[in-house]
Amino acid sequence: MVLEDQVEGDYLVVGLRDKRLDAVIAVSFREAMAERIDQGQKKIVLDLSNVGFLDSSGLGALVGVLKHLGPQGCLYLCGITPAVMAVLRLTRMDRVFKTFPTRADALAA
Amino acid sequence: MPDDSILKLLVPATLAAARDATERVMVLGRRFGEEDRALYETAVMEWLVNIVKHSYVPADGGSIRVVAEAGPQEMHLVIEDRGRGLSAAHFAAAPSQIEFDPEALAELPESGMGLAILKSVMDSVLYEQHQGINRLIAVKRWRS
Repeated sequence: MVLEDQVEGDYLVVGLRDKRLDAVIAVSFREAMAERIDQGQKKIVLDLSNVGFLDSSGLGALVGVLKHLGPQGCLYLCGITPAVMAVLRLTRMDRVFKTFPTRADALAA
Repeated sequence: MPDDSILKLLVPATLAAARDATERVMVLGRRFGEEDRALYETAVMEWLVNIVKHSYVPADGGSIRVVAEAGPQEMHLVIEDRGRGLSAAHFAAAPSQIEFDPEALAELPESGMGLAILKSVMDSVLYEQHQGINRLIAVKRWRS
């Protein structure tokens, strides 16, 4: 699993380079994101534009990140591909996550 | 001449093999539309991961048999394992929709969504346990 970090003002923009956010990487993804949060990052933009597959383990990891941030934190998702959006809609998690077309849109929110 | 509408696999019960098997099944799923394709792929992965995580005791060397057939009207999928399996009652009782309050952060589900995805994506799904074999039979029709 490869994450790329970029600081943009108050936000940490994290790009997931993997094509699949699934059970294979869900645990390591969640741990890596928790590490960033524990280091003090409370505003995160997660760029999923490379991700063309999401399963419930990956989705659970995203929910776990949201919970780890807590109510005072902020998690924006951007670059959502149609395949990932289909899973978010099916599970109705599209009501939970704030999504934006691009990093710039998320940072401007 | 090989029949490229049928895929038969016997794979080890590992997460990496589950991912690989899912990707190979999807080679037969060319007739799905974009959204159906995405959801079908997720549903297949859900069941395979369920077997890896819950049917077999970790590292007990189990295997999973997958047979997928792209028919004229539908994709037909059979997945078998010889682990302890999910009870048929548990499978039947699992909801096909995940209920939660999107505003209740602490209560959001982080697991337990796989069966709901499987049931809501497939047009029909049958799960049976017979002579030590746990068998899922799932059908999804092609839609334009």
